Amino acid sequence: MGYESDKLIVIGMGTCGLASGARGVLSEVEQQMDKLSIEVPILKTGCIGMCYQEVLVDIALPGRARVTYAKVEPEMIQSIINNHVVKGKPVTDYAIGQITTNGEKIYKGIPTYQELDFFKKQNRIVLRRCGFIDPDKIEDYLETDGYRAAEKALGTMSPTIVREVVKKSGLRGRGGGGFPTGLKWEFCSNAAGDPKYLICNADEGDPGAFMDRSVLEGDPHAVLEGMIIAAYAIGARYGYIYCRAEYPLAIERLIRAIEQAEERNFLGENIFGSDFSFHLKVKEGAGAFVCGEETALMASIEGKRGMPRSRPPFPAHRGLWNQPSNINNVETFASVAPIILNGADSYAGIGTESTKGTKVFALTGKINNTGLIEVPAGTQLKEIVYDIGGGIVGGGKFKAAQLGGPSGGCLPAEIIETPIDYDSLIEAGAMMGSGGVVVMDERTCMVDVARFFLEFTTAESCGKCVPCRMGTRTMLGILERISAGLGAMEDIKNLEELAQEIKNTSLCGLGQSAPNPVLSTLRYFRREYESHIKEKRCPAVVCKTIISSPCQHVCPIETDVPAYVTLIGQGKFSEALELIRITNPLPAVCGRVCHHPCESKCRRGDLDESISIRTLKRVAADFAAKEEATGKYKINVSKISGTGKKVAIVGGGPAGLTAAHFLAQSDFSPVIFEAQRVAGGMLILGIPEYRLPRETLQHEIRAIESMGATFHLNTQVGKAISFDQIRMDHEAVFIATGAHVDLKMGIPGEDAEGVYESLSFLRRVNLGEEVPLGKNVAVVGGGNTAIDAARVARRMGAEVTILYRRTRREMPADEMEIEEAINEGVDLQTLVAPVQIMISGGRMAKVQCIKMELGEPDSSGRRRPEPIEGSEFEVEFDNLIVAVSGQPDLSFLEEGHGLSISKWNSIDVHPYTQMTNVEGVFAGGDVVTGPWMVIDAIAAGKRAAAHMELFLNGEEVVPQYGVTKPNIDPVEAIGLTEEDMHLTRPGMPTMEVEKRLRDFAEVELGYTKEMAMKEARRCLRCDTEE
Amino acid sequence: MSTDLTIEDVREDAGLLETEEPLDLAPVQKIVESLEDRKGMLIPVLQEVQNVYGYVPEEAANMVADLMGIYRSQVFGVLTFYTQFHLTPRGRHIMRACSGTACHVRGGKAVISKLENVLGIGHGETTEDMFASFEKVACLGACGLAPVIMIDNDAHGQLDPVKTERILENLREMDMMKRAEK
Repeated sequence: MGYESDKLIVIGMGTCGLASGARGVLSEVEQQMDKLSIEVPILKTGCIGMCYQEVLVDIALPGRARVTYAKVEPEMIQSIINNHVVKGKPVTDYAIGQITTNGEKIYKGIPTYQELDFFKKQNRIVLRRCGFIDPDKIEDYLETDGYRAAEKALGTMSPTIVREVVKKSGLRGRGGGGFPTGLKWEFCSNAAGDPKYLICNADEGDPGAFMDRSVLEGDPHAVLEGMIIAAYAIGARYGYIYCRAEYPLAIERLIRAIEQAEERNFLGENIFGSDFSFHLKVKEGAGAFVCGEETALMASIEGKRGMPRSRPPFPAHRGLWNQPSNINNVETFASVAPIILNGADSYAGIGTESTKGTKVFALTGKINNTGLIEVPAGTQLKEIVYDIGGGIVGGGKFKAAQLGGPSGGCLPAEIIETPIDYDSLIEAGAMMGSGGVVVMDERTCMVDVARFFLEFTTAESCGKCVPCRMGTRTMLGILERISAGLGAMEDIKNLEELAQEIKNTSLCGLGQSAPNPVLSTLRYFRREYESHIKEKRCPAVVCKTIISSPCQHVCPIETDVPAYVTLIGQGKFSEALELIRITNPLPAVCGRVCHHPCESKCRRGDLDESISIRTLKRVAADFAAKEEATGKYKINVSKISGTGKKVAIVGGGPAGLTAAHFLAQSDFSPVIFEAQRVAGGMLILGIPEYRLPRETLQHEIRAIESMGATFHLNTQVGKAISFDQIRMDHEAVFIATGAHVDLKMGIPGEDAEGVYESLSFLRRVNLGEEVPLGKNVAVVGGGNTAIDAARVARRMGAEVTILYRRTRREMPADEMEIEEAINEGVDLQTLVAPVQIMISGGRMAKVQCIKMELGEPDSSGRRRPEPIEGSEFEVEFDNLIVAVSGQPDLSFLEEGHGLSISKWNSIDVHPYTQMTNVEGVFAGGDVVTGPWMVIDAIAAGKRAAAHMELFLNGEEVVPQYGVTKPNIDPVEAIGLTEEDMHLTRPGMPTMEVEKRLRDFAEVELGYTKEMAMKEARRCLRCDTEE
Repeated sequence: MSTDLTIEDVREDAGLLETEEPLDLAPVQKIVESLEDRKGMLIPVLQEVQNVYGYVPEEAANMVADLMGIYRSQVFGVLTFYTQFHLTPRGRHIMRACSGTACHVRGGKAVISKLENVLGIGHGETTEDMFASFEKVACLGACGLAPVIMIDNDAHGQLDPVKTERILENLREMDMMKRAEK
């Protein structure tokens, strides 16, 4: 062994690579080679564009394809060197692709670059060398056709012909403006004056764009060569590359490249043996975004404050030091050599009518494959996001892409098929800009995005002209108000007017384009602005002042989660419960059956797993109940005086109970009319006892009773007492009768004996009725009711099969419920749907099913199931339980009730006040929404109570919107320790399966006190974040 | 940058009024005198001065003006225009947190709060023990790895508050070791 110059190890040492630990990988490679006493040349390249895969290491063996290893950690090096470099066997587990340049033999089991989604649709002209050559070696550049274009231009073409070729190629300025490059050169060439200056704008300051950095770091000579050709075409003898100081590596590589070019007489006097001379220098920027503007940039080169001046005179006539000057950006210069070398037509053949050639984009944000891509102009945003970018992080939903940074705008999902070229983008209200594409998902707030950009432009405004200096600041002030929940509707109008003024009257491009992000988000996401202003909601759960913390903001009743979790962490369980009870009279219920939207937005979930918020609530409630039983604790409830106005509540489910609680708290006298012999509504009629023990529910209902609420059980309104009578006897009415009527599938045989409807099936079982069930039972549906019915049937001794028409991924039921159903032996059959129930001897005998497949996504984003023709099959079942959906029963309303009813037979209300079109009549819960979540019914009851109070006090019933605030003075955070960061979410202890199926005992056992206290410490306390 | 402050205020804030030893200005002289051509060289000169002192001391700025034959106000104007220049001494380590778009949408705010909390300083400030200076900067151009911070000349990517804290702890340890060696 010894020096093996025919092998090559390539390590990506661009900024992305270095930030991901390329240095550590490099030193490990050197150590491993030392150990084996081998020496293979190491090539340190720039960025290949796959930032999401850094650190990247390539291995090339003679005659074999070059293999790329991704996300390389030092621990992987030993295996890669031993197996691949020494034995010639690539480590396929770590390899992500291979590439051939000269017909080398490819390896089996590793995809080629052309097969990788990331590269398939790319066409790399500007980036063709990035990641493949050593940017510090001019030899590498020369070997790949380097400086041949400059040689050709200076040796065989006149400056006029060079300009004509560039004009014909259709190349337009890649810095964002899109001005035709050849034409620009001509202006400067025709201008009188000597010397002329050529400037490369490498002050890439757009947040979200880094293509210039990658080119400068990965292929600096390409920029030099483009500049030499341009200088020749214009007749410029001096050139500057103005590079921002934030790119130290780029500056270092540029300076080295210039030295190398000078040594070979590609720069300096009489270059390439011609009589043309061109001198090039690097000027380091000093940190001012406005210097990306050409006149400001030139002022900065002159050593002054980088402030723009008005044009004309244009730089082509009076630029740097008042001499004719030409400025192009990095990408534009890097595109020049291929045009000269391969001809204008080769370049003009790519792209669209208005935009020729390729464009480099920096693809970032909430996307899987972040990095640098180069695609033909006219490629659709959709292709960039999904085909190249691999879709949204974590399977999220694409919301918008921001193009062109602080000067640009966003493209929403509706126009994701927009071809990316200069003109289509302008039409859509965005712009190409320098090429930053920041992808945003549903967790990105568009008001926040607009505010962010305005904050940036305000800070970067040089202050020379008033519209930009004062105007952007005023706009920012308005946006800050809106995102703090203090906005007014006229703010939107003011923003639009100001934006127009600033665009029309600012001195330079910075000010003229600064309002764009606001205008474009207003154009596509006006509803989101209105939410912030009118309803004080931030739908993406981002704006701090409005949301307080994500968990609290998404909770329909805004439970102060961070505070109660902290109290639990301190072992103060009953204090935690009291805090929860401020917003929720049914904590033990919610601690068991809430669908916990809080957990889905929990920020800890972005790190590892969300906090087990629901279970912590349960622990607090159960602990306090235990203390209460032993007399150590007493729930603190107020008692009504009995003199308050009487309010009727029709229906004793979660909505009605909650309304009763809050009305009683305000000393009204709530009277509940409940048709069944027990209160609880769906909590008792729908939810099985093994999920919500009856005593737990009754304990919370008793607390409401103890406040003085009157319960009329077994009192069906419409039969026992008329609705009109109730209206007459009470000052206000809240209708919360739920949605207890089953919907049918609409297939033949559905009425046969043996077929049950899930809601009535569960109701009868839950009320203790005898429900005959055979051995083999099928349940149709994929929601929580289907799972409930299946698990209940299991407990009644049946073998149960669930038939669902989509796949498990699309099932709306709680994932844990599905899991437990399977644990209990329920057979889950997906992509099947019953088409007919066959009857024999007067009752159902068989079910004919059809197989399904998933087609295109429907409006809910779920892929629509479609039947596979001819795939029908029959299965024998004794019973079929249909759990499709339900709807309200409004038969209790008399003729002429006057209430507005929807086509789904639900009652129409104001979505926030819960008041119907009839004054004094409110409605909430499933009777309004159709079958929906417990916590939403509770929230409706709570909002109804608050607005009924307005009504009862003779005030106008207007929505009482407010931002989310902590319920009590902020509880001091415990402070995360390193240990807390390593804690993991405990699984839910459950009863053994054999025991469960014997009766209806509770399956989930909850956490111990110790488990709960430990779990609570994982909370990040987002509410305390500044 | 606010310009309501006078140099004296700034120096007083930085505890510099009682500087015992006069500043050695020889390097400034050398930098200016080594220029072949002074045209447009003010910014590079100031950049070099800052490289020598870690910031641009008032005396040095005045000397640059005098030697280059331009008004002191011109020099002060340039110094306060560009975010790269600092008029007060800076910490041994420079923490630059990216507040670019990609970092912002990928949770950069939490990383910045963590840095500020752990260091106990805000944007443009330096810790009392001169361990670190902190500043929020426009895009660092490593958006593919958002959120990103740059400590001295090293970029650290794909951060979250926990990783950030760990990096700071390691840095402080190394800093203490180095200082102990000295």
